[in-house]
Amino acid sequence: MSPRLRRFALATAVVVGIAAAGALAVMAGLFERSVVEASADAPLTPQQMKGLVERGRYLARAADCAACHTAPGGAPLAGGLAFPMPFGTLYATNITPDAETGIGRWTRAQFQRALRDGVAPRGHLYPAMPYVSYRQLTANDTDAIYAYVMSRPPIRQENRANSFPFDYVRPTLAFWNLLNLPARGFVPDTTRPNDWNRGKYLVDALGHCGECHTPRDLTLGMIAQRYLQGTRIENVDAPDVTPTGLLRMGFDAAALARYLPAGTGPQGVMNFSMYDVVHNSTRWLTKDDAAAMATYLTALQPMVSASLAAAPASTLPPAGRQTYLQLCSACHGVDGEGIAHVAPPMRTNASLRVSSPRNLLVVIADGLPERALPDGERYQAMPAFGHVLDDQQIADLATWLRGNWGGTSAAVRQVEVQAVRPKFP
Amino acid sequence: MTLKSSPLSFTVNGKPVGPIDVPDDMMLLDVLHEYLGLTGSRMACGQGICHACAVILDGPGGPREIRSCITGAHFFANKSIRTVEGHAERDAQGNVVRLSPVQQAFIEHFSFQCGYCTPGFVTAATVLVERLKTAPVARRDLEAAIDKAMGQHICRCTGYVRYFEAVRDLVLATPGLVKG
Repeated sequence: MSPRLRRFALATAVVVGIAAAGALAVMAGLFERSVVEASADAPLTPQQMKGLVERGRYLARAADCAACHTAPGGAPLAGGLAFPMPFGTLYATNITPDAETGIGRWTRAQFQRALRDGVAPRGHLYPAMPYVSYRQLTANDTDAIYAYVMSRPPIRQENRANSFPFDYVRPTLAFWNLLNLPARGFVPDTTRPNDWNRGKYLVDALGHCGECHTPRDLTLGMIAQRYLQGTRIENVDAPDVTPTGLLRMGFDAAALARYLPAGTGPQGVMNFSMYDVVHNSTRWLTKDDAAAMATYLTALQPMVSASLAAAPASTLPPAGRQTYLQLCSACHGVDGEGIAHVAPPMRTNASLRVSSPRNLLVVIADGLPERALPDGERYQAMPAFGHVLDDQQIADLATWLRGNWGGTSAAVRQVEVQAVRPKFP
Repeated sequence: MTLKSSPLSFTVNGKPVGPIDVPDDMMLLDVLHEYLGLTGSRMACGQGICHACAVILDGPGGPREIRSCITGAHFFANKSIRTVEGHAERDAQGNVVRLSPVQQAFIEHFSFQCGYCTPGFVTAATVLVERLKTAPVARRDLEAAIDKAMGQHICRCTGYVRYFEAVRDLVLATPGLVKG
């Protein structure tokens, strides 16, 4: 080997070596910054634990742990809910205090690290666990949730193995965390009033609203610049819940503060994933906390106008109006007024006012199951019309609804209908 | 919304009806009762829950049940429906000479007491029997098929078991409705 070639080979080896060492260092967690204080290494006394349980119960509801860790029909917090992903299926884990199959052996510090750093005793968590949001939890609140979870009955239920072909990608999540995990936890904005800060904490840390309402980039990290602007979740849209989006849907702070715990209002009914969120989480919020969330989310903007101007009737498809009168008006009312406890009003319905018609089209095509909401409120099942109406009829109906009551004059196209109903080819 | 009336033509129990002037937002049940004198289909809940108002819609996909209290009359323009009045055999004067097999089965099984829900049950059971003629089910699936066809119908005299048994016995006694 010539001296020149040897030097080149040596240089290459050094570069590759440094890169490999760097990668190993990342995977070993050398660059990961924990937000967990050293004081968490001291265990809580049994008295302290006992004193925290009730607050922890409230916080665990606000954080909606049950949404994922309680499978439908399964034991509370024993895990098992499947998350089908393009590359395999993830299963939520057992977080009851069972020593063998749950988290019964976890220390206070380990629990803090799992929630706020995304690192469990056995390695990195997948970001399906919203630790990017929970990173903003305070140490005290995390302790309270720990105390509550540890006070639950232990359930012996083995975790289901994730069906990922390469579960050894776990260490590489350290790279993902470098990109997507904020360095710091929650920092209150001292220029804002307390309820605004409390609302932000409930929205960002506990409620982890952004996990569904903020669009994600190619690495599946939340895009900070598009915070809460809405995105697609499975087949439907998680709407834009920025102040602009909320106003468009017909929410001011007072209306949103009522809607979050009730799950219904003039704007319609919480459906899709939010139906479960109402039952697991928002219905349990105190009045003050619901109001704080609404204060923060609407940023105290005044409502510009309570009702939207209808598009001129002459521009709307008459076929849409005919379909409405024939198939919808018996329950939703000739004037879109709805029937209390049966069918929500249309004339103030958020689904007609959002920018995308997708959720409206899904409901028209697939119908909805009956809904039981807090305080005895309920709504009847809505029939599916996907097999009754063709694509153009559904498009005309949606165009007419959105134009007549939603303030949107853009015509809904057949392709938009086809996109939501692969079930009815 | 200002509403007007429009002419409506459709077929009821095999006979052409119309054109008659019907308000754009009127439900089929009201047209049957108020315009055609066919009062057999029942109004009960008025919101699509109880199925007492159900009639048969005969379309390209075969017969199916549809709730007349929540479906606008104009939806049926140029379509063909059957109400409970259209099931029995009648003579030239319009007198009933023989009940349909479903109606007869309900009587033999003492299925109903007050009878208010019966037109809806006749509709559902008739649709089931007619569908089984073209697409028979396996014997072991029959109970589930009856439940699917009739399970949404509400009877406040709680005649469910007798309705159920009447339909099951009729299906089993009629050749070609069940395979295996």
